[in-house]
Amino acid sequence: MGVAVRTEGLTKRYGSTVALDHLDLEIEAGEVFGYLGPNGAGKSTTIALLLGLIRPTSGSAAIFGLDVARDAVALHRRLAYVPSESALWPSLTGEEAMHLLAELHGTVDEAYRDELVERFHLDPRKRIRAYSHGNRQKVLLVAAFASRADLLLLDEPTTGLDPLMEQVFRSCVHDAKARGQTVLLSSHILSEVEAVCDRVGMLRAARLIEVGRLGDLQGIGGQRVRAELHGAPPRLDGLAGVSDVTISGNVMECEVTGPIGPLLEALAPAGIEHLVTRTPSLEELFVARYGDGA
Amino acid sequence: MPSPAERAIARRATRQLLVGAVVVGLSFGASAAAAATTYASTFTTAASRAQIAATTGADRGLAVVLGPTRGIDTVGGYTVYKGFVFLTTIGAVWAVLAGTRLLRGEEDHGRWQLLVAGATRPGRATAAAALAIGVVAVVVTVLTGLIVAVAGRSPDVGFSPGQSLAYGASLGLVVLSFGAVGAVASQLGGTRRTANGLATVVVAVAFVLRMLADTADGLRWLRWATPFGWTLLVDPFGQPAWGPLLLAVVVSVALGALAVVLAGRRDVGRGLLARHDDRPARLGGLGSTIGLATRLEGPTLLAWCAGIAATGLLYGMVANLVTSDLPESMTSMLDRFGARGTLVDQYFGVVFLLVACVAALIPANQIGAAADEETSGRIVRILAGPTARARWLGERLALAAVATLVAALLAAVCTWAAAAAQGVPIGLVTLLGAGLNVVPSALLALGVGAVLLAVAPRHAGGITYVVVLLSVVLDLVASMVSGWAWLDQLSIFHRLALYPSEPVSVASTVGVLVAAVALAGVAVAAFARRDLHPA
Repeated sequence: MGVAVRTEGLTKRYGSTVALDHLDLEIEAGEVFGYLGPNGAGKSTTIALLLGLIRPTSGSAAIFGLDVARDAVALHRRLAYVPSESALWPSLTGEEAMHLLAELHGTVDEAYRDELVERFHLDPRKRIRAYSHGNRQKVLLVAAFASRADLLLLDEPTTGLDPLMEQVFRSCVHDAKARGQTVLLSSHILSEVEAVCDRVGMLRAARLIEVGRLGDLQGIGGQRVRAELHGAPPRLDGLAGVSDVTISGNVMECEVTGPIGPLLEALAPAGIEHLVTRTPSLEELFVARYGDGA
Repeated sequence: MPSPAERAIARRATRQLLVGAVVVGLSFGASAAAAATTYASTFTTAASRAQIAATTGADRGLAVVLGPTRGIDTVGGYTVYKGFVFLTTIGAVWAVLAGTRLLRGEEDHGRWQLLVAGATRPGRATAAAALAIGVVAVVVTVLTGLIVAVAGRSPDVGFSPGQSLAYGASLGLVVLSFGAVGAVASQLGGTRRTANGLATVVVAVAFVLRMLADTADGLRWLRWATPFGWTLLVDPFGQPAWGPLLLAVVVSVALGALAVVLAGRRDVGRGLLARHDDRPARLGGLGSTIGLATRLEGPTLLAWCAGIAATGLLYGMVANLVTSDLPESMTSMLDRFGARGTLVDQYFGVVFLLVACVAALIPANQIGAAADEETSGRIVRILAGPTARARWLGERLALAAVATLVAALLAAVCTWAAAAAQGVPIGLVTLLGAGLNVVPSALLALGVGAVLLAVAPRHAGGITYVVVLLSVVLDLVASMVSGWAWLDQLSIFHRLALYPSEPVSVASTVGVLVAAVALAGVAVAAFARRDLHPA
């Protein structure tokens, strides 16, 4: 598998504001990459740069080996983009808008489009003006998936979708992955990223602070242990890999990185009645990373 | 009592219109002051004024086209006459656009919904926003009045402050009335474009009614039926009459109240004339970007063509009235516009100056439409696909250029057909030439607008309109005040010959065309390199 997206020192400044700071990112062809970060971290800026809609202050970006600015026209035949704000021509109907987008893009799998219209419960006869936000979003999602583009750039694409449609969206991403398409999914919905993404990148204050497989990232955070003991909990100070210990009565909670054996040995004399371990959810990871507000 | 939310809406609406109102007020004042000063210095003796009055004062044809000639033996009468058609038309069009901007444009963009979600109701919010139209009408009145009063302090001119204010009010009432028309149209049309179209029809009807009122003494009462007539009835420099002003206020308040009632009865986000929300797909024009642009802009461009064709028909029809049995000394009047040659040629020279103004507004409109594609974020649907930016802008400019050319030729054909039917000796080829002659200055407006679009998309449409309208005013002022002739160089109409009354300079025409194309080229190159406006 080759590299689908590669950025090198990609930077965007607006005056003294840094919107994106030296982003070095590689996305493999065929993978589903989750792009996380709080509001204003630079997710949409990254995607606008990849689309050539804005120009980098410094650094470069290439998709499938093509420069995003210089080769924009050739490149755009191979990608599809769905934003969170679905600005469309209000006088057109859904069907007309999808037809237009397909014609402008140049490729469309019409059978798949019809299938998607069904799956998303979209009434294509209605004018865009009369659609809810979620329905306008469906028009763009159907157009993007039906284009069968090699790369899908999805920028918080499911805003406004109800939970049922969210499930349809996830199955579409799985289908796209199964066909070998590459997906960059920027999202706030962590369960969505957990459900569909192979790898995740986390942005904070315009910088990429973490990239890795979801499992690896969760490993960094260690696992949460909660034990109900028969007797009083022993002192755990200085035990390797154990941190964040709280004790209330006979209940002990703590975080463990690395092997859990030493902790179990330490607890055994007190008599373990009930033990729960849990790897942190992406949400907990997210809160741990961004919770201090910076 | 208005809630804080309603006060905020009124303040915001006023701020949105204030810059435009100041520009309009200053332009009106400067134009009228220039007319008054020029006249006072050119016709210094009572005898020379009486001579003009004797020969042209009773001329009906001129009155139909340009406004009342009865009082042109006085500084005030001439001042009213000179600016009448241009200033009232500019005021009416600006007011319509201002009214629909506040009460339909904001709703189109979804911002109105946020305002109405505050501590208010749609009707009350509409009243608060409509209040801004009253405020800007007062701003136009006061600024115009002030500038004219300053010019009037000269003993040669001799306007009293009260007369000057009455003159300002005679123009301010046009802004007030048509702003109110725009407010009602905003309730009927489901989009700003529809609302603009409806309100423009009202402006056109009002314009024709005023013309009819000046065709015969028996029809003079028709002046009471149109805001353009009220402007004349105020008669600011004679015996100022406040009755027409009061009528304008009453009618405008009634229209405002109607808008408020209608706003309370319709769904926010829809017009009373809303169409069905679902229909079978019509795929015409959806295969390419130029097809899409044509489909989206087609109705608007057709409306412009219809408007310019109607203008042509109108001036063609009255051509016979104006150019037959006209005393030779009439020439001096038309001379003031710089027209020469036979009377018929002079007349059509001035008519096509009007056509040039309308034709130059088409590019302004199209630049605004293109900028709206960008600021709304819809352009990303196109540019995220395999369409080059240069191509997109190039196509939009080409569409505007072709529409302008078609409109100018249509104006020529309609003017000729209506004039020829009346037996006016003018050739189709001559008028087609006059039509073509107005195209380069309009394309210059397109080039200027394109550069604005490449630099500041948010304001490109508005500034292009201002450039065109200010060019008209500069042209008026520069043609009257000898020391200010240089002002004309700032006008896009600077190189426009009043063909057929003036010969066309090939060098000038080519120069303007080259400038227009160069500006467009710079704009396309700059647009392809800059960051897109965030939606």
